[in-house]
Amino acid sequence: MRKIMFLLLISVVLSGCARLGEGIHIYNDSNADSAPAENVFKEDDRLVSMTVILHDQQFVSGVTVKTFSRFHKKKIEKELKEKLEKAYPDFDVTVSADNKIVHKTTEIIQNKDKAQLEEQLEKIISLLKEET
Amino acid sequence: MDEKKFAKIEQQLSPKTPLGLNIVKAFLTGGTICLIGQFIAMFYMTFFDFTERTASNPTVATMVFLAMVLTGLGQYKKIAQFGGAGAAVPITGFSNAVVSASIEHKSEGYVLGVGGNMFKLAGSVILFGVVSAFTVALIKTILVKFGVVSW
Repeated sequence: MRKIMFLLLISVVLSGCARLGEGIHIYNDSNADSAPAENVFKEDDRLVSMTVILHDQQFVSGVTVKTFSRFHKKKIEKELKEKLEKAYPDFDVTVSADNKIVHKTTEIIQNKDKAQLEEQLEKIISLLKEET
Repeated sequence: MDEKKFAKIEQQLSPKTPLGLNIVKAFLTGGTICLIGQFIAMFYMTFFDFTERTASNPTVATMVFLAMVLTGLGQYKKIAQFGGAGAAVPITGFSNAVVSASIEHKSEGYVLGVGGNMFKLAGSVILFGVVSAFTVALIKTILVKFGVVSW
């Protein structure tokens, strides 16, 4: 019984590690080119992975940074936002190094049903504005 | 017997503190408590609409609640005896200090006993916490004003 419980616990804990892995992952259903976003990611060696969603003038991105760069998350977010705003002037750019945002954007990319993408993106942006 | 002689004999007789072992135990206990806290934060982030920043509030509340239950059941003192500072420094230690003082003085009544003695141990933590937070905020405000750092 104990062994079964232990195995169950390990599998539950490890199932939390289901991620897209390192590198950049893009979902693009807009007319914009996704190459500038890839360049921004390649130029920055503090980043481990980046998930990008381009949809209807919305650019939402979640980034994971290297362990010791975590202390400069805010600065990295700001720098990335500036670069991406230059690359995508027509888009409303949102960049976050928050785990929740990475998790949500990963979910959108993995989920094949994109019917409520607009609502999902709005929810992500509202989560970032939440102050309490 | 003069003072110096007494101190010398006292030092010889009292058992030596196993400093290295205590540090390792504190490290492991404190680390385990923080790991549990991390799991709780991940739980709130995965199943509720909390971000990394906002998940800290319910996480702290849950940790305080868990430590309160453990103190009430008499289990936290075992952790504290093993872990020392490792169990006292995280927020759970603060919760333990409040609850154990309340339990101890319950016999004196709810108002003057529990109410009056609840913060007997934790009061100093609150006082010095507020003072140090004020000082750090003041220093940072001045540094921001002079453009050395940004918010």
